[in-house]
Amino acid sequence: MIPVNWVVALAAIIFAIGAIGVMTRRNPLIMFMSAEMMWNAAALAFIAFARQWHSMSGQVMAFLIVGTAAAEVGIGLAIIVTVYHRRHRLDIDEISGMKG
Amino acid sequence: MSSMHLMLPEYLLAGFVLLTLVGNMVVGDRVRVASWLGLIGLLSSFVVSASIWSVSLKPAVLLNGGVVVDNYSLLVNLFVLLAGIGAILLGWGETRWGQEFVALVLVSVLGMMILGLAGNTIVLFLGIEVLSLPLYILAASEHTAAGGEAGLKYLLLGAFSSGILLFGLALLYGALGSLSFINFASLTNVGTPMMWAGLSLTLVGIFFKLGIVPFHMWVPDVYEGSPSAVTQLMAFGTKVGAAAILLRFLDFGFYLSPQWWGPALGYLAVLTMIVGNLLALPQTDLKRLLGYSGIGHAGFLLVGVATHSLDGARAMLFYLLPYGFAVLGAFAVLIFVAGNQDSVTLSDLKGLASRRPLMAAFFIIVMLSFAGIPLTGGFVGKFYLLQAALFANQPGLAIGLVVGTLLGLGAYLRPVQALFSPADESRPVPQWTVGGAIVLAVAIIGTIGLGVYPTPIVHMVNQSANFFWLH
Repeated sequence: MIPVNWVVALAAIIFAIGAIGVMTRRNPLIMFMSAEMMWNAAALAFIAFARQWHSMSGQVMAFLIVGTAAAEVGIGLAIIVTVYHRRHRLDIDEISGMKG
Repeated sequence: MSSMHLMLPEYLLAGFVLLTLVGNMVVGDRVRVASWLGLIGLLSSFVVSASIWSVSLKPAVLLNGGVVVDNYSLLVNLFVLLAGIGAILLGWGETRWGQEFVALVLVSVLGMMILGLAGNTIVLFLGIEVLSLPLYILAASEHTAAGGEAGLKYLLLGAFSSGILLFGLALLYGALGSLSFINFASLTNVGTPMMWAGLSLTLVGIFFKLGIVPFHMWVPDVYEGSPSAVTQLMAFGTKVGAAAILLRFLDFGFYLSPQWWGPALGYLAVLTMIVGNLLALPQTDLKRLLGYSGIGHAGFLLVGVATHSLDGARAMLFYLLPYGFAVLGAFAVLIFVAGNQDSVTLSDLKGLASRRPLMAAFFIIVMLSFAGIPLTGGFVGKFYLLQAALFANQPGLAIGLVVGTLLGLGAYLRPVQALFSPADESRPVPQWTVGGAIVLAVAIIGTIGLGVYPTPIVHMVNQSANFFWLH
């Protein structure tokens, strides 16, 4: 049986990769994907802790995270496609016109 | 009372979301049908919330501890429904933002109501997402480059902050073995590193939504690019929802251990008040200025939470209302002046005092309330916050509050000064609209009423906030 700590460590690594991805990448699609990775890391951590505590609520939370993430992807991709149609470029620094 | 009865405001609103969607499909003037349905839904939910509030009930814990219906959650309902009604009226008959505008506003308001009654982290997370997802679409619904940019920025930072929040909640669950706020309180006596990390990540997630200073960079851009009625909903409703959940989360779950979060919140409050108001000073776009003003006011709200006292909780809850009235009034005038334009700069306000004296007078009252001048609601709200900071023996917070207010005064007097400059004759004279006039009238009555005779509302807020440390 894999110790819970290892799973949590894996979740933390995935979370860190996602966070770094959001902060360093400039393509909105990749940034969005990295943010979704952070969500999935949280879901993984919830499942690991649910096994540690022998309670179902963590697993419930993981299901809700997956469901909400699906809804968010639907909305997010629609917005990204709209922006792409207007600009035909996807670079967050070029899209960014508002300053100050 | 049964759970069906206690959660009737939420059920009603959810039902009216579906009705509004059906209303969008009927033949005829679809936007108008949907707007009426949405307005009726929000108003009926408002009336039901008020009637349940007036039967001063004991806190009811429902759905296995996930939902707590008490006077606090019902008062939050009233505040966010006010914001929702304002958004519908300000966007009345507006076809530019698509047919879904009304339904999305209703879903978002439902999310804010859920945040008011959350009793565990599952409901906290769902509330934040139900609030945010419709707002991403609404932010992007202006068909301009700025609209798309606002939607994209809000989406990316919203997803990022929700990820941080979720991982924080996961670590809290790992450290404490429970998702319920009430259980947190008895488990947080021993601070483990994992609990520390979880608490700080969760707070960062909520601070993003609230717009607290190191996490505020999305606020001005999103406010500037979104349709004005939606910006009003973000500025008032989202702030109420995020502040409500912050207060509930900390004062339900971590009220025994304020030494872990109190100082951090205090420093962030002072930083937010000063930076938010300082950055508002050089702004020329009115919506952007209101965005920075919203950041500054988030700092004022944080003062109430950071004092960790009953006075602070009450002051924060009270402050939401004068701030909300001022936001409603400011955006009503902004929509009058904008007409068919997307944005309003300070130069667009020139000559309003001579062309539309009444509109200008109302705008001045609203700006003075933002700044906290006596005889307006903003002053009473700031007074209670200052009192709470001093009673809690935290002079640093009080000094920060005063400095922030003084800086804000400069920012809010610049639009007022523009009103009296000579008019640019090429610009059309701003026209009143029925919906905007209703919102403006309510906002002015509320602002002046709270400033002159705040007792009934103060009494109401005190009754709503007195459950802390008593459960």
